Amino acid sequence: MANVRLKRITKKFDQTVAVRNVNLEIFDQEFVVLVGPSGCGKTTTLRMIAGLETISEGEIYINDRLVNQLPPRDRNIAMVFQSYALYPHMKVFDNMAFGLKMRKVPKKEIKKRVQKTAEILGIEDLLERKPKQLSGGQKQRVALGRAIVRDPEVFLFDEPLSNLDAKFRAQMRTEIKKIHDSLKTTVIYVTHDQVEAMTMGDRIVIMKEGLIQQVGRPLVLYNTPVNLFVAGFIGSPAMNLIPCRLFEESSRFHLGMGGFQIPLPDSMAHDLTSAKGKDLIFGIRPEHICEKGADYHHSLDKPAVRAEVNAVEPLGREISLNVNIGENSMTALLSADTEVRPHQNIDLILNLEKAHFFRNVEEGGEAII
Amino acid sequence: MTREHLENHIFRILRFLGMAFFILMVAFPFYWMVVSSIKPLEEIFSNPGNLGLDLRGISFDAYREVLFEHGFITYISNSVYVSFITVLFSVTLATLGGYAVTRLRFGGQKLMSTSILLVYMFPAIVLVIPLYVIFSRLGLRDSIHVLILVYLAQTLPVALYMLRTYFQTLPSEMEDAGLIDGCSRFGVILRIVIPLSSPALASVALYTFMIAWNEFLFAFMFLDSPEKFTLTRGLVQLEGSVHLSKQLVMAASVMVTLPILILFLVFERRLVGGLTAGAMKG
Repeated sequence: MANVRLKRITKKFDQTVAVRNVNLEIFDQEFVVLVGPSGCGKTTTLRMIAGLETISEGEIYINDRLVNQLPPRDRNIAMVFQSYALYPHMKVFDNMAFGLKMRKVPKKEIKKRVQKTAEILGIEDLLERKPKQLSGGQKQRVALGRAIVRDPEVFLFDEPLSNLDAKFRAQMRTEIKKIHDSLKTTVIYVTHDQVEAMTMGDRIVIMKEGLIQQVGRPLVLYNTPVNLFVAGFIGSPAMNLIPCRLFEESSRFHLGMGGFQIPLPDSMAHDLTSAKGKDLIFGIRPEHICEKGADYHHSLDKPAVRAEVNAVEPLGREISLNVNIGENSMTALLSADTEVRPHQNIDLILNLEKAHFFRNVEEGGEAII
Repeated sequence: MTREHLENHIFRILRFLGMAFFILMVAFPFYWMVVSSIKPLEEIFSNPGNLGLDLRGISFDAYREVLFEHGFITYISNSVYVSFITVLFSVTLATLGGYAVTRLRFGGQKLMSTSILLVYMFPAIVLVIPLYVIFSRLGLRDSIHVLILVYLAQTLPVALYMLRTYFQTLPSEMEDAGLIDGCSRFGVILRIVIPLSSPALASVALYTFMIAWNEFLFAFMFLDSPEKFTLTRGLVQLEGSVHLSKQLVMAASVMVTLPILILFLVFERRLVGGLTAGAMKG
């Protein structure tokens, strides 16, 4: 049980800066997910916490103890790797017992702990096998077991599920979550998969090019992204992000973008006053677009826009439409019973109360509302 | 007969001929050597062209004589000593060095890693005379240990190169896991890298042993005192002695060749495995 504190952490490899001035506090028992595209510095950050990379600048504290100079073995952490990283020359039992043996835990105690952990993970009958006799999922469990059996202060996960097939991944996701709920050990989990981040994390840290973009609970990130990057990264299908311009006409704010314009609800006017006349990015999630008449709450008095359907992707529970509105292409999630075919026209309602506005990329891409 | 049949047939015949040719080239001299070493001397003189062997006339006198009267017991133990010490140092240093250039980050690491084989730009024959002079001046020349030093310098680059290539194929995450599980860097090498590298280590050991055991040029130049001779040096000494007996030279030659042959047959599979294991990602 421990908190982890990163204070102004920077990592440089020769000329390139992998992690820039990262400040982050991870609380005891928390499940924090570091997420971002490859090369964003999330794994490097994790490896610095583990002690596998040196820290160029800044300080890392585990349980309020400065660990910058401590080798990995003295940090009381356990790590699960993407490649599982099992020791191929040892049986499963010895793989799991290795860390305890190195710490001179009595043999009897080791046996007891390995046995107990194996039971939790359902791998008791694999203990006598060598790693190469295991399937991917089994290896993953053993890797997990090797970390759990140590009873560390912090678990570090480095994309542990990305080598598994989709079905098994979902299962392991719940399982890891369950283990965290029962062990209450602090977890720092790195992934590039935003679904994993959303479903597992108590809090999510989104990184890009070595910088933290936003830290927050999954739904906070989803509902109030602070910038264009977070908006585009979280959510699947991704948020529609479209260049637009705000202008005032007969004392109402209007949104103009590539070939069409719609009036904005008065409630938004206040927040957008300063952005009047500027080039902005308009963001709307696919589920906030609906067919006119399909959802009367939204569509009663709202202006519809005419869209031309490009492609229809039935997802089962709903259908994903790729449409052209004016000159822009957008994705919309409609209810599964909507009857549309490509090249057909359809009247759509944009739920503007749920829309976001961002400064454009040249101005930093921050969210206005 | 289809074309495929025909091709297979031709290839089979060509393969057979090729193998037969090389076996003959290699095995015949060896056979001749062995047979000559165990034939009675009179037989060799009276019928030098006889390829066959009369099983009733087999005699190991030549071996006894070479071993006990011509000092080969000493030469063998010298050779064994030189070879084993060379192997020990070569494997140890190559493991540490090969690991360092693959895994550790330090200034000049790239340069070191790529220049390992530079030593081979200088053929032994170019080095032998300067080294002769240097070691003579230092008064160290007539010494088995200087020979070990030279052999080490000769074998270490290839040993390093082989191990480096092999180490590069080992997943580094596994070593990270070891570090987190409680090993020091050295512990990781000892408990994880070395056990996993046994094929590569075996081939490096065998390679070094073969070089050290067979080396002649430096042994010939450096060693003066017969009690320090290695096998190859002793063999030349024997051949040059006045009362040349073909039988004795052949017996001595068998003694030089046999250990390598046995080692190779025993470890052949591992050696080939070790040599190619690194090659896939090299």
